[in-house]
Amino acid sequence: MPNIRYANMCHWKAVPYREIPNFREFYYEDKTNTAYYSDWDKILKYQSALGFDGIEIAPWDLADILPLFGSPENFAAFAKDRGVEVIGMFHGAHASHAADHFDEAVKSGREAVDTIVKFGGTYMNTCPTQNYFGSGPLTREEVQQCAKVMNEIGLYATDHGVKIGLHNEFFCAINLPNHRELIESTDPKLVHYCIDTAQISIMGEDLLSFYDTYHDRISTFHLKDTASARQPDSVRYSQDPEITDDGTRWFWEPGLGELDLKGLYALLKKHGFKGWMGIEYDGSPDLLASMALTRYYLDNELRPIYD
Amino acid sequence: MNSEQIGISLDLINRHYQEPNRNRYESKYFWEELYPLIRASGFRAIEIPYEPVWQFGGRSGVPMNRYCINTKYGDAANYRAKLAEAGIDHVAGVTFDPNLFMRNGSIDFYFGASGHFAGEALAHAADLGADYFAISPSAYYGRIAHYHPDIDAKIATFADRETDMLRGLAEKAEGTGVTLVLRNEYWSLFRGERILPLLDALPSSVKLDVDTASLTIAGIDPADFITAQIDRIGCVHLTDTSFVDDAETWKTANPEFPEQRATQVFRDPGTGTVDLRQIVSLLDRLGYAGPIMCSARQTRDPFRALLRTRALLNQLQN
Repeated sequence: MPNIRYANMCHWKAVPYREIPNFREFYYEDKTNTAYYSDWDKILKYQSALGFDGIEIAPWDLADILPLFGSPENFAAFAKDRGVEVIGMFHGAHASHAADHFDEAVKSGREAVDTIVKFGGTYMNTCPTQNYFGSGPLTREEVQQCAKVMNEIGLYATDHGVKIGLHNEFFCAINLPNHRELIESTDPKLVHYCIDTAQISIMGEDLLSFYDTYHDRISTFHLKDTASARQPDSVRYSQDPEITDDGTRWFWEPGLGELDLKGLYALLKKHGFKGWMGIEYDGSPDLLASMALTRYYLDNELRPIYD
Repeated sequence: MNSEQIGISLDLINRHYQEPNRNRYESKYFWEELYPLIRASGFRAIEIPYEPVWQFGGRSGVPMNRYCINTKYGDAANYRAKLAEAGIDHVAGVTFDPNLFMRNGSIDFYFGASGHFAGEALAHAADLGADYFAISPSAYYGRIAHYHPDIDAKIATFADRETDMLRGLAEKAEGTGVTLVLRNEYWSLFRGERILPLLDALPSSVKLDVDTASLTIAGIDPADFITAQIDRIGCVHLTDTSFVDDAETWKTANPEFPEQRATQVFRDPGTGTVDLRQIVSLLDRLGYAGPIMCSARQTRDPFRALLRTRALLNQLQN
């Protein structure tokens, strides 16, 4: 049994079919590759064939997935039949820094935990609050409020067999000046951390020293590369910076950016990391190609260091 | 009819469903490259689907709501100026469907959110100088049934709340010069001729939006419908299909993707079985002078769809 298992954070946009019963006929309607990206049956088979045994659900997909499958349990069973297990779901803890939003933020987090349990997942990677633009800079009290919400959700999650992992975006109101303050203000028994390798690097953290420092808090990863580490405040604090106007990409497949991912794997070995490594392909024009490129890089460059 | 007066809906860009290269649709550059291509395809007017979803995830590059336009262009006037630079001199209409808000068991949430954002969309339509604001009066029947399994028993209550919401929008629309029109999608609680009692309950300023493919799928001859309702029509969508709904797909949770047999329900105009030339000719004969919009939603290739649509329109007599 390897120490690391691999999953994909789901960045497929809406997938309209469960399974296409008339695939050849559907293909011949227009003879394009649309048929290859229109049902969960094939998406999950692509994952399974490329050795990604887990999937992290995106909450924005629930409104499509649930009516399509009827329930989280049905989706989980459908995925399992194709060799993929649901490991968890992402969650955005909107406005958790706002004291008057405490009850709603906790309620929303608990509901997300309940959904994850129904999917059979055990991880809830959680963005601690919304974008910096419009809400930052946060006061010390607001950071503490954020930590209070995370602890409260973390308690509920732990009681239900789910690990919540803080997941910071480079444009979040929790940002370089208060990133570590938030982590250290949360209860390590209840609140873990999901390292998004590119996001924290763009934010200005040094990936290797960050992992080395917080290795015992790390529950899982969003592994992706970037060629844009250490962006200035003017970028990180701007309005809607995630999708650039000119198509510039923040995120690349592992090995196509500039991060020291081999160094990270050496540290994973040093600390004996065991668990899920989620891969994230946001920004990719071709998720299947990204998945295959990633598998090649994992097998030839990273797994020989630590598996 | 002068086909130069017929516009194209931006719904030809697949914003929501998976396909290679779709991520580019979230960046501003894609749309600003698209506008001159729309003009090069012979269109001077566009329609914008109003989609609140783009303001929630910071994806303001998609020009489908007021937040996005204000973020990227400052205001609607600047956006119109940008369109004009590309040769598009008119935003003929804005559409709105409430499917995003049918996501839980709270009917109050559905009507509250739908009403709020429909109001925003209507105001945005006015800012853009649009002729019409086309609203879908219900979410997908199947999606409603998923969250509200007793919807058939509560349809009268739903209709009453919808009527109240639409009356409020009609009142707002009357002060803006924008005509409120009701869409008649085949998947709606108010599909086909079921739209007529709803329309009867609204002020006479509210009109019908005829969608030729949707009517056909609902089993209604669009030519007959147009002829019967010509005085109440405020907008026509030239949509095409070859789909025959023989398995009550309209009742499913994802009705534009028939689960029994996958197919492209909405075909590029001119490539399905709806006789769009006959429809345009009929509208001409009946003296219809309102907006006409082509829609290639679900196209597999938006650029081919633009040219296919123009090729169809070129066959119409000017």
